[in-house]
Amino acid sequence: MAGFEISRRKVLAGSAFLLASTALRSIGWTQARKGGRLVVAADSEPRNLNPAIVASNGVFFVSSKVIEPLAEASFDGQGGLDPRLATSWEGSDDGLSVTFKLREGVTWHDGKPFTSADVAFSALSIWKPLQNLGRVVFKNLEAVETPDAHTAVFKFAEPTPLQLIKNALPALTSVVPKHVYEGTDIAANPANNAPIGTGPFKFAEHKAGEYYRLVRNDKYWREGEPQLDEIIYRVLPDRAAAAGALEADEIQLAAFSAVPLADLERISKVPGIKVIGDGYEALTYQLVVEINHRRKELADLKVRQAIAHAIDKDFVVKTIFLGHATPSTGPVPVNDKQFYSSDVPAYAFDVAKANALLDEAGYARGDNGNRFALKLLPAPYFSETKQFGDYLRQALAAVGIDAELVNNDSAAHQKAVYTDHAFDLAIAPPVFRGDPAISTTILVQSGIPDGVPFSNQGGYKNAELDALIAKAAETLDDKSRTGLYDQFQKIVVEDLPLINVAEWGFITVARDSVKNIANNPRWAVSNWADTYVET
Amino acid sequence: MTLSRMARSPEAVAGFVILGCLVLMALAAPILFPRDPLSIAGPALLRPFQDWALPLGTDRLGRDVLAGLFHGARTSLAVGLAAAAASILVGSVVGTVAGFAGGLVDEVLMRITDAFQTVPGFLLSLALVSVVGPSLSVVVVAIALSAWTGPARIARAEVLSIRERDYVASARVIGMHPLEIAFREVLPNALPPVLALSSVIVAAAILTEAALSFLGLGDPNRVTWGGMIAEGRAVLRSAPFLSIIPGIALVLAVLGVYLAGEGIVESSATRRGNA
Repeated sequence: MAGFEISRRKVLAGSAFLLASTALRSIGWTQARKGGRLVVAADSEPRNLNPAIVASNGVFFVSSKVIEPLAEASFDGQGGLDPRLATSWEGSDDGLSVTFKLREGVTWHDGKPFTSADVAFSALSIWKPLQNLGRVVFKNLEAVETPDAHTAVFKFAEPTPLQLIKNALPALTSVVPKHVYEGTDIAANPANNAPIGTGPFKFAEHKAGEYYRLVRNDKYWREGEPQLDEIIYRVLPDRAAAAGALEADEIQLAAFSAVPLADLERISKVPGIKVIGDGYEALTYQLVVEINHRRKELADLKVRQAIAHAIDKDFVVKTIFLGHATPSTGPVPVNDKQFYSSDVPAYAFDVAKANALLDEAGYARGDNGNRFALKLLPAPYFSETKQFGDYLRQALAAVGIDAELVNNDSAAHQKAVYTDHAFDLAIAPPVFRGDPAISTTILVQSGIPDGVPFSNQGGYKNAELDALIAKAAETLDDKSRTGLYDQFQKIVVEDLPLINVAEWGFITVARDSVKNIANNPRWAVSNWADTYVET
Repeated sequence: MTLSRMARSPEAVAGFVILGCLVLMALAAPILFPRDPLSIAGPALLRPFQDWALPLGTDRLGRDVLAGLFHGARTSLAVGLAAAAASILVGSVVGTVAGFAGGLVDEVLMRITDAFQTVPGFLLSLALVSVVGPSLSVVVVAIALSAWTGPARIARAEVLSIRERDYVASARVIGMHPLEIAFREVLPNALPPVLALSSVIVAAAILTEAALSFLGLGDPNRVTWGGMIAEGRAVLRSAPFLSIIPGIALVLAVLGVYLAGEGIVESSATRRGNA
């Protein structure tokens, strides 16, 4: 009997605990907007988390919550920008200086105040000499003057268009603390892996192969933000795992198409899960066929035109991207309001015409039906680039070009294409970053040293195009600069130094409970200060 | 005699039937499906048994699954046989030399064999293919690299016993060159137990090739079953048949090779026992 008494007590205690836990739950619910933990899928663990050095989306995905740029892209902000560490910017008439007014009352996560000295240090010691994109945009930056603690004046040696600087603000101007980096080996500083910034979240820990953890910065400069208490990036390198983890509510959000496109239709029907295509407008990836102009056949414009005619862009969009892409017309994506020009030649899908062009060029079919053979290297970064490789091989076979696919891992692919030039055709996914001068013109410009990734390594040289690019780089007036890029697009599409096939943004899949997502054009790599999880 | 004995074992019969089908598929592939099996044959992701021109449906790009299956049989068999032949050749030569020469040569060769055996075979293949780059011949070499140690050890053990036999002694007496004795007198007699290993090696080679292709390290210009499974994995939830069909083919092929090999070994063992 005694045993029964005890167990009854246990039952009572247990139910009391249950009651208490429901009460706790309701307390939590009343504070829903303030807190919450967001668990998201991460597919890679960058070796260096410093966005001032490595301006790439894989790094931004984690570190943009910790380290802030001078301004962020915005759907409705003035000039498409939302001020962050800078509150205003103004260019001089001669294009030789840009004055930034900086935000006051901002502190670093370690408690030190944020000043113009940090901006000057980041610009001169990191963005210009070390950053992958900053090397191009800030190459003429000579000095940064700091008349007071909240003013930074950028001085350029050559006239530099304000339009370009403004377009570069979101991705290229991550500010890091001078007191942490000064006098150290910047590339090897431990803060590169445990970043210290001014952002809404502080870096807490990284367990290799498991997760990154960011925690709320209580002293964030913007009132009422951040909403979340914690962000956990769970490392899920297997793309099939992200969908399962979302359905099981183990993660609440998977960005950058971590859920495969083929799975979207199915998962969109799962209750409690939403599929969102917005929030990547300023992160447009382009599917590009890179051409090695050192190959005699490919140096012939007719052959390049034939290849352009042999590619069925609609098939690529419908079958490989399952409709989540747009056929390209040229080197600037259709969704870019500032620079896109539709005044370019079109290459309709036409196998007969492609064959005729190849015949005209003097490459008749041999006994086995082939005109010539070449090596095709698809970039391994996305399953879509690899699938397009499979497709392109077939599309070329239809016009008598025998393409041999060569698969490499990322490192070997970059070496083969951008250093050793051991390719005939390659498939690349470059990113359009809001201004052709940031990462698009280098795809066709000549005189770039060997080994610079995602640049013209195909040996293409066009003096007219080079002159145009150089002129646009120093044209201050927005309108005439845009006009020069219209010409640039026309020449690229006419002369085909490379072939633009399609352009795509990514897809976010999230639980319905996650609110305020996809609300700016770089959302996945912005600071998520207003995002929250409803519980 | 052997055939009728083998017929008594249903496993062996099943093995030979499966193996026969596999060989027929491999031989018939270019006749039944003369087009490149990687070419786009119809709408993408067509389910099986919907269109009789494409009975097993199509994959994500619209490639014919049945054609892939037939041409894949060719690749799997070719890789399996070539890898087994290469590893048995290398293994038996190394084993014979080690066993026949003895002493320091034996010691050195066997320690090398040990070194290869301590590294997991698949890891070795993976490393080689990712360094040299994927193509069919590299895959064959990579598989042989990890599979030659078994034949080498067995050949050595056999040679150690054979080299003490009278006919080897008499060959020595009539002044034959030691190498000639090793390869003309000893090796042929040491070979049968080594060959018995071949079915296991072929089966393992087919699996290794599939695993390499699955990891994206197969020859991208050829259809392989492993590559088909990997390709289907991205749509596993919505089109599982793309992984299941080549998966079944792979299981059957490995089972067939293994059962047939077991059948041969068993029947020759009973024959020896009877004699």
